Amino acid sequence: MKTFKLDNEPKIESGFKTPENYFDTFSARVMQQLPKEEPKTISLFSKRKSWIYAAAAVLVLALTLPVVYTNFYRSSPEIDEATLENYISYNTSISDTDLVNLLDEKDIQKIDIGMNIEDKTIENELSENKNLEHYLLN
Amino acid sequence: MQEEQEFIQELLNPKTQNLAFEKLLKEFQRPLYNHIRTIVLNHDDTDDVLQNTFVKVFQNLNKFKGESKLFSWIYRIATNEALTFLNHKAKKNGVSSETLQNKAIDNLKADVYFDGNEIQIKLQKAIIQLPEKQQLVFKMKYFEELKYEEISEILGTSVGALKASYHHAVKKIEAFVTTN
Repeated sequence: MKTFKLDNEPKIESGFKTPENYFDTFSARVMQQLPKEEPKTISLFSKRKSWIYAAAAVLVLALTLPVVYTNFYRSSPEIDEATLENYISYNTSISDTDLVNLLDEKDIQKIDIGMNIEDKTIENELSENKNLEHYLLN
Repeated sequence: MQEEQEFIQELLNPKTQNLAFEKLLKEFQRPLYNHIRTIVLNHDDTDDVLQNTFVKVFQNLNKFKGESKLFSWIYRIATNEALTFLNHKAKKNGVSSETLQNKAIDNLKADVYFDGNEIQIKLQKAIIQLPEKQQLVFKMKYFEELKYEEISEILGTSVGALKASYHHAVKKIEAFVTTN
């Protein structure tokens, strides 16, 4: 077998070829891919935008706080009379008798004063009362 | 050297950058194409790697310290890009780098951008039997005809070690071609 010697052979070329005109267009293709250095622009709008957000947040807080304050702090301890009355009448077991027993002489006298109404007034009241018949029958 | 310093300044100056870079492209596109093509073998892959190399060179111009020559710095980037590309491609296909190279050589026979005969194919097959470093040294010396001093700057290996590497490579190639 003949020993192969690289130096004895004519130079062996790599044999690599390129498409026709490959290098004519190559540099242009690369130039297009290069990252363009864009001038730094500081947008006024973006700065203004953050101010708008901040103002909006303050506004929302300003509008929300009184509502929260009213609902949670002010209105809670002051229950209106109707609510209190309803609560007592539906959720307690205090009977009329219990109430009567709680009244002392002074309270009765006060009620007496309140009841000092002229006969005519009572008559008028009774004649105008449509439920009078119902009260009499029962 | 003075001239190179001026050219580097032109590359870094935004006003002259584009023109200088086009000059760099024109000067390096052919030798770098050959350098990458001997590593990745296929034209389309070479085209990809060559473009990436130039884009990378452009992006890293401001990091070029001037400690080495522009020539060897660019060649180093191209070599790294080509080797990284091969490793990624092998990984993607789930094969070893050597298997990938073998397949690429088989494909050369049908490659319209390869004009070679049996001995050229056999030489390529002999080369891929070599360790990676010896492959690089052999290709750069034999096909690209670079000087040992230039290869030394690119690969960061001493001239003496490169000569020994080339000598070993030639012996192994001759033995492979003789027996196959």
